[in-house]
Amino acid sequence: MTATAAWHRLDHLQLLLIGMLAALGLMTVYSAQADWARQLLWVLLGAGAYAAASAFDYRRLRPVALGLYAGMILLLLAVHLVGHTALGARRWLSIAGFALEPSELSKLLLVVLLAAYLSRSEGVSWRSFGITLLLVAPPAGLILTQPDLGTTIVFVAVVFGMLFLASARAWQLFSLVFAAGVALPLLPYVLHGYQRKRLEIFLDPTQDPLGAGYNLLQARIAVGAGGLFGQGWLHGLQGQLGFVPERATDFVFAIFAEEFGLLGSLVLLAAFGLLLIRMLRSAAVAPDRFGELLAGGVFVMILVQMVENVGMNIGLLPIAGIPLPLISYGGSATITTLAALGLVQSVALRRREVVLGDGALGTITRRAQA
Amino acid sequence: MIQLGGVTPKARWSMRLVAAATLGVLVIGVLAVKLAELQLTDGARLAGMARANTMHRIVLEADRGIIYDRHGAPLVTNSPVWSLEVIPAELPLDARARVVELAEFARMTGRPQPEVAATLEAADPYSSVRLSMDLSQAQELAINERLPELAGASIVQRAVRTYVDPLVFGHVVGYVGPLNDADLKRLGRLGYQPGEVVGKVGVEAGLETLLRGRNGWADVEVDARGQVVRTLDTQESVPGDSVYLSLDAPLQRATAQSLAAGLVRDGKTAGASVVVDPRTGEVLALVSLPGYDTNLFTHGISQADYNKLIDNPDRPLLNRAIAGQYAPGSTFKMVTATAGLQEGKITAATMLSCPPYLNVNGWIYHNWASYSLGQMNVAKALATSCDTFFYQVAAMVGDVTLAKYARAFGFGQAKNIEMPGVMPGLVPDRIWKQLQCGVPDLNSDACRWNTGDTITFGIGQSYLLTTPLNQAVYVAALANGGQVMRPTLVDEVRDASGHEVQTLHPEVTGTVPASAANLMAVREGMREEINPPYNMNYWFRAAGVPADGGGKTGTAQWGGSGLDLPTHAWFVFFAPYAQPEVALSIFVERGELSEVEAAPIGVQVMKFYRDNVTAIRAGRAQGAFTS
Repeated sequence: MTATAAWHRLDHLQLLLIGMLAALGLMTVYSAQADWARQLLWVLLGAGAYAAASAFDYRRLRPVALGLYAGMILLLLAVHLVGHTALGARRWLSIAGFALEPSELSKLLLVVLLAAYLSRSEGVSWRSFGITLLLVAPPAGLILTQPDLGTTIVFVAVVFGMLFLASARAWQLFSLVFAAGVALPLLPYVLHGYQRKRLEIFLDPTQDPLGAGYNLLQARIAVGAGGLFGQGWLHGLQGQLGFVPERATDFVFAIFAEEFGLLGSLVLLAAFGLLLIRMLRSAAVAPDRFGELLAGGVFVMILVQMVENVGMNIGLLPIAGIPLPLISYGGSATITTLAALGLVQSVALRRREVVLGDGALGTITRRAQA
Repeated sequence: MIQLGGVTPKARWSMRLVAAATLGVLVIGVLAVKLAELQLTDGARLAGMARANTMHRIVLEADRGIIYDRHGAPLVTNSPVWSLEVIPAELPLDARARVVELAEFARMTGRPQPEVAATLEAADPYSSVRLSMDLSQAQELAINERLPELAGASIVQRAVRTYVDPLVFGHVVGYVGPLNDADLKRLGRLGYQPGEVVGKVGVEAGLETLLRGRNGWADVEVDARGQVVRTLDTQESVPGDSVYLSLDAPLQRATAQSLAAGLVRDGKTAGASVVVDPRTGEVLALVSLPGYDTNLFTHGISQADYNKLIDNPDRPLLNRAIAGQYAPGSTFKMVTATAGLQEGKITAATMLSCPPYLNVNGWIYHNWASYSLGQMNVAKALATSCDTFFYQVAAMVGDVTLAKYARAFGFGQAKNIEMPGVMPGLVPDRIWKQLQCGVPDLNSDACRWNTGDTITFGIGQSYLLTTPLNQAVYVAALANGGQVMRPTLVDEVRDASGHEVQTLHPEVTGTVPASAANLMAVREGMREEINPPYNMNYWFRAAGVPADGGGKTGTAQWGGSGLDLPTHAWFVFFAPYAQPEVALSIFVERGELSEVEAAPIGVQVMKFYRDNVTAIRAGRAQGAFTS
């Protein structure tokens, strides 16, 4: 494919939305007084990963999916063995002076694995269903025990979403929901003390307004204080004066909403919405089932993170340590997200076409003729 | 070749993809609705909460006015103290780091660690808890250095009153303490905030409204750690006024020393003295012993120290000079003499006998001497302090008239001096006796005024009570020709910029209804008492002080009736005789012989006054005002 041809096939709207969100992210991280220069570096590295992933023929991932899976397990094991501990959780690996958070990368690797496995056949047999769960269990267990409740939630959502997109049967999906329903009451026994506290606070925020409910309350105050037009970039009272906790990561949306108001927030949500739709479109034009499931999986991964993050910022969902994709500060998450979006672009670039007889494009597969 | 323009991607939207897209749009819609609710409906309320979070009003405490003596020597200063304060919510979350920090606090403050931990746990986590008052400057520097490593800790500087020579000036100057309900009741709604400091006793309390000044405030923006980011608006505080007392600090010290020395010499523990200028009512010295360390109170007195003061049988907290009420004894005889002369019952030349006792209706009333002193006029009766002479005069004048003259001299009157807690003393009369006798039948003998009451009234016993302050005002009135002056402790008040806002206006609160000649006859008796051939003159000669003036001793019985009762010793004095400028009272609690115990103290005070009269009467040093 020539560069010109590739440029014309590119999903321009996706690229534009990613650029816009990344720029808003950098502005917000700057306002949150985090290390914005470093975040800029992450975005640039992520842009490289995005470009590489776009150019890369995603179909070559399929044969190595199992190897990537093995690598993911090893990384997560390494975290347990030699990882750094912070805030009561062991999540980081130190590589060449950078702190790598393998659980972020594992989200994407899970999508690749499931896309590869579930694309082996049309539909999902009970056997495939079982094997899928068996494949997911070890990394999910390793992540839950770090403990990292947020990523575990993303895992569960991605598994459910990708099974749905892979045309899993209704009973299989019901059984998953049922299993979750059974597991939920057991959750308090599995959760770390502070995680249980978060859940309890969410269920009844008034029980401790000055203690653990403080974060939730301060974030809500910041969002509300934004009003319709916002207080202006770098002028959010709550955010600038440090009342919003974790203001560059988990609660970055509160900073954004306080400074840019409802109008800015709606623009942000609309940008995410459009980006998500473009990802589904990539899935719809994918030349093969692997590409369709890959784009669909990234869609689920980003949708879940965005919804949970914004939801907890406005007090709609319990607090879980999930970054807002493309906005929150953090190298592992930023690079992983951009790489994932690059793969979606790769799928879009290699989409089916109404064939005009140019075999050089080499994109006619499966039911393209239909 | 390639017709890129004609390439049309063909999307294959499966039901599941459409469902996923719909779900995505719906979920984002829910987020949008919730956001709109939060930012529009609750926006104003939450914005208010954000402001409340970030805006704090800091009270800028006004400097309290300084209290000086008449020459501008400061009797109290505002000295800076540093305290270690901690906001519990900002302590490290990590349990181990927290313990390390608590140990550090314990080491710095010298308090046991469990106590520090308990203090912090009991407090409101978001308010500042004072861990240690009054750090020394060295401690303050040491802690300041470590402060960046100590999360949630800060050093707060405040001004604390430090009193000069509290044992000498304490009863006059008083002390300040944290506002309580009683203060609020006393001071009314003057905009006091809980935790503010107010004068509790002495001039600190009496001139509270002048000394206090007006607090200012600063509206500041604070960050989540409580650090001030910027100041939005301020109202400067206005310092309190400076007060120049009429007190002469050296004379006050000399009076305290003379009194203390006299008490020690005679094995006594309590006494008081008041020195006034009879022309103006200015109090030049006012001493009550024992004194106490008022600085203990401003720095937060410990329960042990407080109990020690309360349990001390000598009651150091009692300001005897203004609130100690005792029978005046023979020092009252000038009132009886004035009444007898003015009412025409006697003249200056009238000679009455001075027998060893008087028999009234079968009751025997003794003179201090067991033999007859012969015939004498009123001056000699005063000089010899003949009791039986004054029994006769009192009987002639009658109790009602005697009470009238006592009141005219200011007895039974709570003086309007610039201190709270002034007691009036007591001038008894028939109705008072009936009301307080406590027997159901008010007409019984126990309740009825009898001749004995009148007779002992004449020598300052009966039920009569006075205070050292009232005594000084009384002798000043004798000295100045019958004018009862309002005693005052304040010569001048200046605001922070040095402008005079109040100055001394001598105030006459009453005039004794007696002719100049009669008062002169009374003063003559007081002059004779301190001159030869009377024993009293010895003290003046011994001290090398001219006996130019008039004095009267009194040994007053108290604690019931009968012989050999416990006594208090008094000495009142004025000088010089022709144009008196000093009047004083000396009181020795449980003093047995006023001539030996009380009079020499007065002579010592007088000696200091005479030796230093130029300095005492000099205009105030200019420098004092500008400081």
